[in-house]
Amino acid sequence: MIMDSLEHIDTFRAQWPFAARYVRVNGWRMHYVDEGSGDPILLLHGNPTWGFLYRRVIPPLVDAGHRVIVPDMIGFGLSEKPAREQAHSLDGHIANLAGLVRQLDLRRVTVVCHDWGGPTGLGFAMSNLERVRALAVMSTWAWPTPPAEFHTRLFPWRTMHAPLVGPYLLGRHNVLARRGVYLSVVDRERFRQEAQAVYEAVLPDSETRLLTWAWPRWIPLDDSARAQARFTWLEAKLAKSKLPALIIWGREDEVFDAGTFAKRFKRLLPHADGPHMVTGRHFLQEDSGPEIARLISDFLDTLGGA
Amino acid sequence: MADVAVIARPATEGTRQALVLTEDRLGHYPEFRAFFARTFDLDRVGLSEPGFVRAPSGTSYTLAFVGRSGEPFPSGLEVYAIVEALEPLDDTAVDEDLWAILSWMIDGVGSPWTVEDLHATGRLYRIPVTR
Repeated sequence: MIMDSLEHIDTFRAQWPFAARYVRVNGWRMHYVDEGSGDPILLLHGNPTWGFLYRRVIPPLVDAGHRVIVPDMIGFGLSEKPAREQAHSLDGHIANLAGLVRQLDLRRVTVVCHDWGGPTGLGFAMSNLERVRALAVMSTWAWPTPPAEFHTRLFPWRTMHAPLVGPYLLGRHNVLARRGVYLSVVDRERFRQEAQAVYEAVLPDSETRLLTWAWPRWIPLDDSARAQARFTWLEAKLAKSKLPALIIWGREDEVFDAGTFAKRFKRLLPHADGPHMVTGRHFLQEDSGPEIARLISDFLDTLGGA
Repeated sequence: MADVAVIARPATEGTRQALVLTEDRLGHYPEFRAFFARTFDLDRVGLSEPGFVRAPSGTSYTLAFVGRSGEPFPSGLEVYAIVEALEPLDDTAVDEDLWAILSWMIDGVGSPWTVEDLHATGRLYRIPVTR
């Protein structure tokens, strides 16, 4: 049904010509694309997007001689969408990635992370170091304190996903895909014409949108948060990591602002290349896809065969 | 929020219960769970009886509280519109009723949560009931 809806969007196939592939991880059906050949690059999206976010990043990377794998997180895109909130946990999503990478037997992986693709992708990387070649981070976080002052505010963030309010606003009304992404890109008119309908089409019904309000509830706000220990572990592991790393950030990002977040990643990974600033708010791939691809490709070229 | 009222069990002959909203994690912010426990005397009533409210459209709603082993009660909540058995829902009316119920809930939960913040959030995301 979702694919039928997507096929009826005039601009969809021209933007997303990639073959759909599926694998079962932890009992869930995960959709991914797998294009090109060479050392693999894993492109990870967050809330409420899917692999489509990387539609302008994939072709230049493939043309530059890379294998690009783009999974849809369980609960998003063309992957299975569990109907119960208890199906989701940070550890579970990290394990889902591990399941994908091991089934495809990927090695020398470059893990590219955005939003919740950060805690999950970096969590995967830190627990599967033997399979990982490098890291790239964009508009995300990897530490236990509230990621941004924005996330501590009642208006609009905590109110949006409060009990019953979350299922109403994000479930019945799909406000994150319908309005939230739009507000978090720079070229809103282009986004409205090219992408808005696609992001809405993959979340067609209330229950398919569950992860859009479940993920915000996993952001740690204090020491009692469910993911507190995992984020503490993640930050400690990253601080010891010597993996080559790349930091890319949107100049106009107001939520994960570069002055706070890119800077903190640079402190955590002082050897990292960047931060490289590109045009973009939180969903910077919408505004700077080819430039992000070039930055990743150039960064990997500097690593050579190492 | 005088336009939502807690009521006794309404007559249900010729009606059906139509599920309109579910919450798996009522205690995500514990003050929300406490509001329902307080309003419907759930420490005493437990699972024996749902709660009932009447919304602005005049429709009554059942609040079915859900328990989960190992978690404080209630852990979840299901909201059902009590409607004519064989008639389809009026989605617009249900949507407006739910918004009123959410406003009533936020008002009851109290500070620092405010109805003004809820309504501002609704306007920011341009949901139909705020237009």
